[in-house]
Amino acid sequence: MFRKRYRQQIPELNTTSTADISFMLLIFFLVTSSMDTEKGLLRQMAPPPLEHEQPKDINRNNVMQVKLDANNQLTCDGKVVTYRQLTEEVRSLAFVNRTGHVVSIQADPATTYEAYFQMQDAIVSAYHDLREEYAKKHYGHSYAACTNDEKTALNEYYPQRISESPIQEGGAQ
Amino acid sequence: MRPMKSMFHQSHRSVPSLNVASMPDLIFTVLFFFMIVTHMRSDEVKVRLQVPQGVEVQKLANKQAVVNIYIGREGSRWAVQLNGDIVNPNDIPAHIEHIRGGLSAENQARLTVSLRVDRKAPMGLVSEVKRNLQQAYALKINYSATEIKK
Repeated sequence: MFRKRYRQQIPELNTTSTADISFMLLIFFLVTSSMDTEKGLLRQMAPPPLEHEQPKDINRNNVMQVKLDANNQLTCDGKVVTYRQLTEEVRSLAFVNRTGHVVSIQADPATTYEAYFQMQDAIVSAYHDLREEYAKKHYGHSYAACTNDEKTALNEYYPQRISESPIQEGGAQ
Repeated sequence: MRPMKSMFHQSHRSVPSLNVASMPDLIFTVLFFFMIVTHMRSDEVKVRLQVPQGVEVQKLANKQAVVNIYIGREGSRWAVQLNGDIVNPNDIPAHIEHIRGGLSAENQARLTVSLRVDRKAPMGLVSEVKRNLQQAYALKINYSATEIKK
């Protein structure tokens, strides 16, 4: 009698719903985890100025002074400009004097970050256009399709010469 | 008689049921994949901010060597938050030094500071933070933004 009981099969556990449960977990993770791909404008700052550093002389003609005042008004060499116009100005300056020009940025402490960011975006956009054009002409494809070596070459050909340190105007020497 | 009957008699063979025992395993694999791939933001943002929109934004690579700085409103005043906690802008160099100490030599060189700044934040505060970063030799910065197409 006992022997007969042992021979009985163990009933199988019904695991049909495990799939549903794990699906729910999966969906929960998909919804809660923020797939935040961090994006932004990458910039390289200059190292802190040394105490005994001599200011460098730059030709006034090569410098473009971009200023933002307390009312978020953008001026470029004293002229009031829009962001689109600023892109054009920087573009023509960098095209004429590739390695010698300087874009000097000065922002009033009361400027909003939005205006400052749009200004940076406009300037970077000018360099991007130039590099894009050069890449199309010499490599036959857009900047995004370039290999890393080509990108480095392009970045060196059209360097971003942006200065945020205050520039003092001196007399003619 | 016999063959005649078999013509009408339908066979009672049932369709074999599909074995779904491995289905949970498959889904668990997908689940683990997602859990590993997605980057859970570790620090809770205590300030309120909305980043600007830009055209020329790029993806930020290498998340291990990224320090997040949030500048936004906390109540009625502007506050600076470094990774997890709110800091005084003048304490940033010390914090950066501390973080840098915990990184590998490779990542130390690649250290990038991601600035997530509210659109309406005054540049005075942002410049102060930037000056402090410069003092700490954290020179690679990223102005975080959302992308818009031209």
